Amino acid sequence: MASEHIIKSYDEELHRLDNTITQMGGLAESQLAAAIDAVARRDASLATRVVEGDVEVDELEREAESLVVRLLALRQPLARDLRLIIGSLKIASDLERISDYAANVAKRALALSQSPPVRPVHAIPRMGHFSQQMVKDIIDAYVERDADKALVVWLRDEELDEMYTSLFRELLTYMIEDPRNITACTHLLFMAKNLERVGDLTTNIAETLYFLVHGTPLTQARPKGDRTSWQTEPGGDEDGETTEGKV
Amino acid sequence: MTIDYSAAAPPQQRQTMPTSEPIAPPTPVPAPAVATAKPAVRAEIKDLRFYYKNYEALKGINLVLRDKRVTAFIGPSGCGKSTLLRVLNRIYELYPDQRATGEVLVEGRNILDPRQDLNLLRAKIGMVFQKPTPFPMSIYDNVAFGIRLYQKLRARELDERVEEALKRSALWGEVKDKLRQSGLSLSGGQQQRLCIARAIAVKPEILLLDEPASALDPISTQRIEELIAELKSDYCIVIVTHNMQQAARSSDYTAFMYLGSLVEFDETEAIFTHPREKRTEDYITGRFG
Repeated sequence: MASEHIIKSYDEELHRLDNTITQMGGLAESQLAAAIDAVARRDASLATRVVEGDVEVDELEREAESLVVRLLALRQPLARDLRLIIGSLKIASDLERISDYAANVAKRALALSQSPPVRPVHAIPRMGHFSQQMVKDIIDAYVERDADKALVVWLRDEELDEMYTSLFRELLTYMIEDPRNITACTHLLFMAKNLERVGDLTTNIAETLYFLVHGTPLTQARPKGDRTSWQTEPGGDEDGETTEGKV
Repeated sequence: MTIDYSAAAPPQQRQTMPTSEPIAPPTPVPAPAVATAKPAVRAEIKDLRFYYKNYEALKGINLVLRDKRVTAFIGPSGCGKSTLLRVLNRIYELYPDQRATGEVLVEGRNILDPRQDLNLLRAKIGMVFQKPTPFPMSIYDNVAFGIRLYQKLRARELDERVEEALKRSALWGEVKDKLRQSGLSLSGGQQQRLCIARAIAVKPEILLLDEPASALDPISTQRIEELIAELKSDYCIVIVTHNMQQAARSSDYTAFMYLGSLVEFDETEAIFTHPREKRTEDYITGRFG
């Protein structure tokens, strides 16, 4: 942070908000890590702990919200301070969603642990660790107010999208091969979708952070790797282009 | 605005998605005038320097004041913003050892020219000060005072002009039944609006407000701000204020001054959201310089 405010308590309140966001980020990341672990190890008790742990992130979000309201009402912030405060509010909401998705993955891990394992389950930890690393890096970027680092995370989402697209096809194939796989594969599909959404929320945070640092929005179009909306049959159009435009 | 889709398509057609024809977006709301065309320049300040004896209080100021817009001067005490305002109607001439160089062009003529008629200039460029300065005379005479200096009007015409000025300054309703009472009997906020009525009674082109609300309570302050917003449609207004939020709310353009120099001049929104200069940002966010 640059030079300090003349009013010390203003700085203290801003630091508190900053700490709350960082804490939320750390917690959301560890929730996500634990959820993925629960899937990989078929650990029902760990999954339960993740589901229960979500309330802690919710609590922190409420704390961040009340701090923001207080700062807006009492300090009438301008320029960089205003961007930081509004940006924190948006980031808090994105982190809360990320934690929700972690809890969703954990819930499905509970269900999955009751049925025999299916082969594509291996792809979930790979996607999970990738999205978890994105969350970790975006929190680091937030702490360092590093817009360039945020931009790197923002660009990485394309790879996560591609992982999702390929897993989507793989799961379809499994389901067609043997309808007994459908229940497990559907759970995996929803998990993959949740992790893909975590990546999207991370890019939201990256955009907020970019605006927070530069004061101008990140306007360039982000490359997208999720082509599942156009998917018709597994193994069909490999490039995903021929059916483009049909929803 | 809610769109009534049932009116646009009969019920039986609502079942199918219109795949070939996209739904037309709602008619866009016309953008505010400020975003499209900049209003005319009312005054242009060029390389303005000002000296109190040998002390240079303004160090080469360049900026334009636009018609029907509010321009705010902000900056810490002693930065020269009030001095700049004082130059604009040459009120500094009342004091010895004060002089200005450079140009202030109004309608293409340099008002710093020694041949400039000062009475005419001050009718054209009205000023309201921090502390209300009603004259020790009736409310009516306070407003009529300036008009009588410049024009010979019949009683009825003068009445009309006084009423118009008091209405424009949002004071008429409160004083219309006591126009013969002393201006000093009014409250602080009313006195300040009386001073604004006195300034606009002579139909000036530019209105200079030097911290017009800093001595007033919050309600009176809001009345003055509302008045500024009203008067903007007819005048070029310049306001000096220490209240950052007031500048952000009331002005279209903001000039940040520091140690006699103009640090940054831009549209108010830009100044208060992402100023280009670090000194501006430090000042408006309340940081040590």
